[in-house]
Amino acid sequence: MNPERRSRVLDEATAATLLDSGMTIAIGEPAPMALLRLIVRRRLRDLTVIASGLALDLLIAAGCVRKTISYYAGGGHGVPVAPSFRRAAERGEIEIWECEEGILTSGLEAAGKDLPYLPWRGGVGTSLPELNPDLKIIEDPIAGQTLLAVPAIRPDVTLLHAAQSDAYGNVQHYGGPGWLDLFLQRAATTCIVQVERIVANETIRANPWATTIGRADAVVRLPWGAHPWYSRGAYVQDIAFLDDYLALATRAAEHGEHAALARWIDHWCREPAAHVEYLERVGLRRLLTLHEY
Amino acid sequence: MTVDCSIAELLACFLARDLNDGEELQVGVALPIPEAAVRLAHLLHGPNMELVFLGARMNVHHLAQIPLPAFGWDNRVVRWTESYSDRGHRFDQVKDWHRRVFFVGGLQVDPFGNTNLIGVGSDPRRLEFRGPGSVGTPTLTTHVGRYYIVLNGHTPRLFVPRCDYVSTVGWGRGGADARRKLGLPGGGPRYVVTPLCVLDFTADEKRLRLKSIHPGVTVEQVAAQTGFELAIPPDVPVTQSPSARELDVLRTRVDPDGVLRAR
Repeated sequence: MNPERRSRVLDEATAATLLDSGMTIAIGEPAPMALLRLIVRRRLRDLTVIASGLALDLLIAAGCVRKTISYYAGGGHGVPVAPSFRRAAERGEIEIWECEEGILTSGLEAAGKDLPYLPWRGGVGTSLPELNPDLKIIEDPIAGQTLLAVPAIRPDVTLLHAAQSDAYGNVQHYGGPGWLDLFLQRAATTCIVQVERIVANETIRANPWATTIGRADAVVRLPWGAHPWYSRGAYVQDIAFLDDYLALATRAAEHGEHAALARWIDHWCREPAAHVEYLERVGLRRLLTLHEY
Repeated sequence: MTVDCSIAELLACFLARDLNDGEELQVGVALPIPEAAVRLAHLLHGPNMELVFLGARMNVHHLAQIPLPAFGWDNRVVRWTESYSDRGHRFDQVKDWHRRVFFVGGLQVDPFGNTNLIGVGSDPRRLEFRGPGSVGTPTLTTHVGRYYIVLNGHTPRLFVPRCDYVSTVGWGRGGADARRKLGLPGGGPRYVVTPLCVLDFTADEKRLRLKSIHPGVTVEQVAAQTGFELAIPPDVPVTQSPSARELDVLRTRVDPDGVLRAR
């Protein structure tokens, strides 16, 4: 019998076994929410997360985060700062590795290139090196310029959402890769991509220029898996759903009303035993309203 | 002629007039006034402008409407995209950012236009107010040809003698050579716009100076709401009101839902 090319498709339960407490986990854009719900359901703790916005906020609210490599934690919709992030930060409950996008991408590129650091200019003269002593102010040996040395940032696992992949981890984002997705993928030890659909290898070969990640370590078929975020070419964000979360998280952070937020997290993240049960709770009728145009 | 409009509309028109054809205009999330300003300039006098939102680069001068997004991170802007910024490598061509224009908000701004998005409070591990973080503003303001500081308020808590933390360097500790000494190639902040006034910087010291006050605002009011001494010229003009045409294009083609009119 001839040996066969190995499939990289995992079911969600198997994918979950690749994630563990204490890991450094990077989250792409749109946030791969179905995989994040797995983290919450499994009650992982002490994570270092590279994430932004409400995905970061949910993981903090669910008690999964010890440290965040953070460049942006906006809330959206009139809430300038993600509420659970803000509360945890102000109470000293999470450690913040203060940075910004150019610094973050430099650290990720250093990891991908197997370098101890890469230099970056953005942040020179700011408070970032004082708030984050891992950022070293250096005089570059070529031109004598003052720059920051950004140490390699090495995620154990990067979690992404994309439109499609074949069984061998050839991933194609629709409408371009997400914000920092390719930086996060190149830097990580393991990259898991949840996709709307698994397509034939021939579909990938028909347009290889569209392949954004050539060898994801694992792909998980999770249609509608970015909900309540968008998935390009498939559906838009569920604004009412995001607003519900934001309102509950704000009430918890500002008025100490934690029970309602905890119930929301249980209802949407912990009680559904699988992604399909989550989708049943959301309901087909609601999902079908989230068309792009 | 005075035109009945909101301060946000006034500021969008003011900023639009200051943007030049051929420039690249990048706006981050949650800044509706600059979002409106770049669209307005593009429609009115910028057929060769390029707008950059959420990593998408576009020229949409031909469209009847370029409406503001309904949601801060509205991915539907990609329908206008001609290319994604650098195909995932978003900071690989900063050498050309001298023709790019950018906008920043802030929790604090000091007399030299340094700003803070990190937080307020003396102990960084127990901030009194934790801000959203620096996003990409340190890198952008280091390199872009010029940028504008856009604030939703004008109070002594916003305008402070010294920022608790600096996320973007304007003119450092002052002086026209401040940025060169720090090795920052970009042109620095041009104006600070607020609900009360427009501020620019003195030529030599690079200190904030009152440039114009909005209709109905007094110089004394601005001085009282600023937590340090502003440079105030003997004659301070009133900020130019939008023309009927500017306001018509703004209201019918950029902001049909009246987001700015309500602010």
